Amino acid sequence: MSKKPVKGEYIETDTGNKVSRRSQIIGTTNIILGGKTVIQAEVIIRGDLLRTYTSSNPGEKQGNPVAVAIGRYCFFSRGCELRPPGKLYKGQFSHYPLKIADHVFIGPGSIIEAALIGSHVNIGANCVVGKFAIIKDYVRILDGTVVPPNMVIPSFSIVAGRPGRVVGEIAEGEVDGMDLREVYREVRN
Amino acid sequence: MTSFTPYTYFQCPCTESSLPTHRLSDSSPPAENESSDDERTFDPRAPRANYSLYPLEHLFYCEDCHQIRCPRCVLDEIVTWYCPNCLFEVPSSTVKAEGNRCTRSCFQCPICIAPLSVSSVEAPPSGLGAEIATQSGPFVLNCGYCSWSSKEIGIQFEKPNGIFGQLAKVKNGGGPILTAKERRKDREDRKRDFSGSSVSEIREETPEIDVPREPLDPNEKLDAESQFSNLRAFYQSQLADASPVSALGFTGDYGYGSPGALSRIMGLYTGSTAFDKKAKSKSGAMREARDALEGLQITPSSDEEALVKLHAEGWHTTSSCSQRAEFPNSQAQFIDDLRPVAYLLRTKRSKRCKTCRHILSKPESKVQTTRFRIRLVALNYIPSISLKPLSPPTSSSSSSSLLQPMRPVQFLLTFKNPLFDSVKVTLATPTKTPGRFASKVTVLCPQFEVGANTDAWEEALRENGSRSSTSEKRRTKADFLEGQHQAEAGKVWERGRNWVSVVVEVVPASLSFQGPEFLKTEERRQGEGDKEVREDEDVLEIPVFVRVEWEADSAHDEAGGLGASKEKEGKEKRELAYWCVLGVGRIARD
Ligand SMILES: [Zn+2]
Ligand SMILES: [Zn+2]
Ligand SMILES: [Zn+2]
Ligand SMILES: [Zn+2]
Repeated sequence: MSKKPVKGEYIETDTGNKVSRRSQIIGTTNIILGGKTVIQAEVIIRGDLLRTYTSSNPGEKQGNPVAVAIGRYCFFSRGCELRPPGKLYKGQFSHYPLKIADHVFIGPGSIIEAALIGSHVNIGANCVVGKFAIIKDYVRILDGTVVPPNMVIPSFSIVAGRPGRVVGEIAEGEVDGMDLREVYREVRN
Repeated sequence: MTSFTPYTYFQCPCTESSLPTHRLSDSSPPAENESSDDERTFDPRAPRANYSLYPLEHLFYCEDCHQIRCPRCVLDEIVTWYCPNCLFEVPSSTVKAEGNRCTRSCFQCPICIAPLSVSSVEAPPSGLGAEIATQSGPFVLNCGYCSWSSKEIGIQFEKPNGIFGQLAKVKNGGGPILTAKERRKDREDRKRDFSGSSVSEIREETPEIDVPREPLDPNEKLDAESQFSNLRAFYQSQLADASPVSALGFTGDYGYGSPGALSRIMGLYTGSTAFDKKAKSKSGAMREARDALEGLQITPSSDEEALVKLHAEGWHTTSSCSQRAEFPNSQAQFIDDLRPVAYLLRTKRSKRCKTCRHILSKPESKVQTTRFRIRLVALNYIPSISLKPLSPPTSSSSSSSLLQPMRPVQFLLTFKNPLFDSVKVTLATPTKTPGRFASKVTVLCPQFEVGANTDAWEEALRENGSRSSTSEKRRTKADFLEGQHQAEAGKVWERGRNWVSVVVEVVPASLSFQGPEFLKTEERRQGEGDKEVREDEDVLEIPVFVRVEWEADSAHDEAGGLGASKEKEGKEKRELAYWCVLGVGRIARD
């Protein structure tokens, strides 16, 4: 935060998203932004990695396919990357949607291939969140953690290490501090 | 150089035996406190201090004791057991019966602890109709992190679910594991064959299974479970032989709990009574286990085996300490002795005050909800303290983020009041920080009032008026740059609705052991012997004693039950005093 970004760093959308002009958002039609989310420079969001495996569920309506769904008050720091996870299933390779709830902070340089990230999740700098990981609400992942593929992280966990393991619990008093509204307000053009 | 983030830790009073409250009552500025009082100063570097300092977020507040509570002075109570991998709740009766691990299909890699997933050994079906075809076995457990597979220890499964049950029946290498019942039967059958006499009357009536039995080997290698059950059976029979009559109160089982056995044991110490004689003659008949059938395992043979294996395959096939720690009952010396580790269950816990037993925190019992029914955190009761340099970082960061020795710096201490009553705050610091390198500390305004918190206001301010607060800040900043706004003794630097900032001036100590004699403190002269700056000794930490006083609506805590001495008009005086530690920064070494 030492250097103030030059005037007009962010494009502000109708729903209050602040998207850096220097971010790379690919496949925008397949990305949902809930609003008041900050996307910093050099962030990559791969909306182009769509699900190709045809769902056998006939009830599914054929609207715009979603690759990445993001809730409100999320913060994606410089250089992080969001990639929908992919796997071989019944002989067919396909990507699956990446869903991120509200108040999710992702640190600089982290790569996220989770299936689901709950609300009030703080992921540090230079982390790797492996394919199809599921992170529940109120979780903190410390800098440099590698969350292995398919790992489920229950609520109120602190995770660190390579591979990541639960190293502690979020204290009752820390819950309020994981709200990102204040962080959003402090982001100015 | 690693960056340093200023911090504030609070001391829980449960560890403090001598609170120097009297020192504060005279409301004199801390500069006037002389060294005679310094011995009472809380030393954040004392070895014990580590165990009593917490960030504010980790503390509770008991509304009945009107006191801070830390993780050491609360009691935990388990609300729910659940598996951290499948997130299924496990009833406590099941935990008692089956242990504290998930008994579904949740396993961790024995090599790297990452979660294991089940996959089929067969190639996935392809071509027409592949989507409706189901995967067929056999199945294995795979690690997505280090690529370990249960195939490596020769374990495969027939079904993709209920892995725990299936794994319990397979040895490494694929052989079957006998259950306790099967083992007992097997042992008795073998014994009968061995001795040639029948003990079938003791045996339980179980249908005969024609399992081809191996010839009896007194040096047979047993796994931990069968060794235990053999030993147990052996000692049971020894005890039964030792006391054929029930005169001593022995029953078929161990019988240690019976009064007869107890008096016999006591007799060993007191050396009296008739029991003694009997017992002595009996104990002569007891012997120890002799062979594998009786549970005796002689280790050298397995050691030789291990040596041969080591020779042939090398060190990299041995397991690490932490890997072995998952198998306390067996000597998993080699990687192929390791097995998938079932996930340990996790708990949701409520917390009670150790003193008055009132609940401080109670989560909803359901695994998937994150709400709390009760959550009395200190954050909502005592003012938070934040610290930042007073001068804008642009002017000082040019050199480094380190504090320059002997050069005064000013910091801004901001107190934010969470209460809906205004509070009076009194601060006291030692004039010199404790330790070998004493820095000088002066709080320019040690006494001030912080306004009440109000929810409605807050929201209103946040939605439209946030502009006004920023302009307010900008004005003071401008003043500062022009040199008009000077830090003045006895005056608050800046004030907001429910927060106040005051200035602390610090003269960091020099970390060199040379320097004029008069600058050295007593501790430093004593510590002259070791002339190294110890780990984190360069961190400037300031102990601050904080006293908060306020008048609370006693009606407020009517629900909370008993309050302190109630005064007229439904107001009561409250007071809370505690030590804090401010981590200011690292001092540059010269
Ligand atoms: Zn305590
Ligand atoms: Zn489980
Ligand atoms: Zn592994
Ligand atoms: Zn209490």
